[in-house]
Amino acid sequence: MLVIENLVKKYGSFTAVDKLSLRLDTGDIYGFVGPNGAGKTTTMRIVATLMRATSGTVKVAGIDVAEDPMAVRGKLGYMPDFFGVYDNLKVHEYLDFYGSCYGLSVNERKKRTDELLELVELSDKKDSYVDALSRGMKQRLCLARSLMHNPELLILDEPASGMDPRARIEMKGILKALGSMGKTILISSHILPELAELCTSIGVIEKGRMVYSGRVDDLMSRLTGKTLIRIRVLSDAEKAVRLLREQPRIENITGEANMLELEYTGNEEEMSGLLRLLVTEGIPVVSFTKAEGNIEKVFMEVTKGEDEVLQ
Amino acid sequence: MRMRFYNNPVLSSELKIRMRGWKTALGIISYLGVMVFIAFLYYITFIQSSLDWNRSVNANQQAGISIYTMLAVLQFILILLVTPAQTAGSISSEREKQTLDLLLCTQLSSFGIIIGKLLSSMSHMLLLIVSSLPLFSIIFLFGGVTPGDMIMLFSFYIITAIAVGSIGIFFSTIFKRTVTATVVTYLTMFALGLISIILSAYLMNIYYLHGGSASYVPFPLYINPAAGLANILQNQISGGSGGILGLGTGYQTSFWIYNSITMLVIAGLLVLISIIRINPVNRLFSWKKNS
Repeated sequence: MLVIENLVKKYGSFTAVDKLSLRLDTGDIYGFVGPNGAGKTTTMRIVATLMRATSGTVKVAGIDVAEDPMAVRGKLGYMPDFFGVYDNLKVHEYLDFYGSCYGLSVNERKKRTDELLELVELSDKKDSYVDALSRGMKQRLCLARSLMHNPELLILDEPASGMDPRARIEMKGILKALGSMGKTILISSHILPELAELCTSIGVIEKGRMVYSGRVDDLMSRLTGKTLIRIRVLSDAEKAVRLLREQPRIENITGEANMLELEYTGNEEEMSGLLRLLVTEGIPVVSFTKAEGNIEKVFMEVTKGEDEVLQ
Repeated sequence: MRMRFYNNPVLSSELKIRMRGWKTALGIISYLGVMVFIAFLYYITFIQSSLDWNRSVNANQQAGISIYTMLAVLQFILILLVTPAQTAGSISSEREKQTLDLLLCTQLSSFGIIIGKLLSSMSHMLLLIVSSLPLFSIIFLFGGVTPGDMIMLFSFYIITAIAVGSIGIFFSTIFKRTVTATVVTYLTMFALGLISIILSAYLMNIYYLHGGSASYVPFPLYINPAAGLANILQNQISGGSGGILGLGTGYQTSFWIYNSITMLVIAGLLVLISIIRINPVNRLFSWKKNS
């Protein structure tokens, strides 16, 4: 769906994006993470046909963005990290306007407006003026706008920035729903945990270079070499701790009451063996999961400014 | 995307937004209020007294022509003052409101955006111009001016508004801030108006010094709409005799047509540059018919 190859963007002598490559298949939800000024927005603006690349190629659904930007615009929906509003325009008129900019007929626009307002839970605000909405509502409306022409690829630049926790959770729910609809999503954030639970894979960008691209779990294991395992038992927690301490590749067992956490250096096969052992020893295991761990710490580790590319 | 003038989304949306508030109504009232007030002052100061001692048909016609000339010049000045304020913020305000990117990443072409903006500003100016028609029609009570004269004058107003509007749009694509774009538009208009007259006077001097004797209109005058207006009024009042703007250009009847064509060509060029400037990938003809 999206192929970026050796993308370079220079502003004079400053290189904002440096030989960045990326590939997203249909249905992927890809998190683009990096500190402020890393080159995320520049990359996204090039994909969204709002900027020309210095060199490299970007293709959306097989169409080169430099060759046929108008066709690409029909395939993607772009949501920038800011929200622009027109005074004196109502919510449904706002969506209708952008629908007409994509050449949708009056009936199509009405239908899409109703569907999207329902998706972003703004149906009751249909006749409200856009500038009277809260920030979270505006962000959701902006997302609905980017979906007006039913694009295959969504480019979302910091969609939850400036939102309160409740609005963030609501936005996350909508994005998950979009993912289940089969939309391919490229989403950026400078907060890794925000993306970790939402994305199928992530890319970490720093100083315009991709320093990691892959699954979040793999990134964690690769950097620390350890997997954090969380085990909840109904009873016999002390027996479980004793048993675990006897096993190899286990470090730092901690826990409160019936919830245990440990760092494990084995692979997934060995991990399943560990669960089997606990069960056969009669420990009543309720849950056995790989935990996220201290993802911020990992992010700091990855983006500490090294030139070495991890992948 | 296939776009027609009548279904341009930018035009429809702008008209909806403009007409929704009280600002447009207040703008028309103010515009007409200024015209009526000045016309009334002019009438009681200069016309009424002359009609008091001479009530012949000829005196009435002279009064009609006199009021018509005053109103024509007044409306022309108001168009020059109002149009830049309408157009100089068209693109820069989109930048300020952070809506330009949202617009540019749709399938609406740069051409569609600029033309939509220009037409919406022009339709507002047209509304002001048309709303002044009842005021102008009072002149028919005095005589001396034909409906044909009025149509010619109003056509020229529209061309002037398009030319000045395109200057505003051009600077709106260059400057990020509306205030800067508006100030530069006014300054440019003022400078072009003044320079064209000074340069014309200089060129005419050289022409006659080198033995030129035929009617001659120096080229800088063609870009000055005030010269076009002066020519129209001369045609209607004295059959084209007398020099344009007091310059010794000789007998001219069709200068205003060439003046209008020149302004439209310049407007076209400025619109074209504006279209290229706002295209984020700088390809004028990258827009294709997808729907």
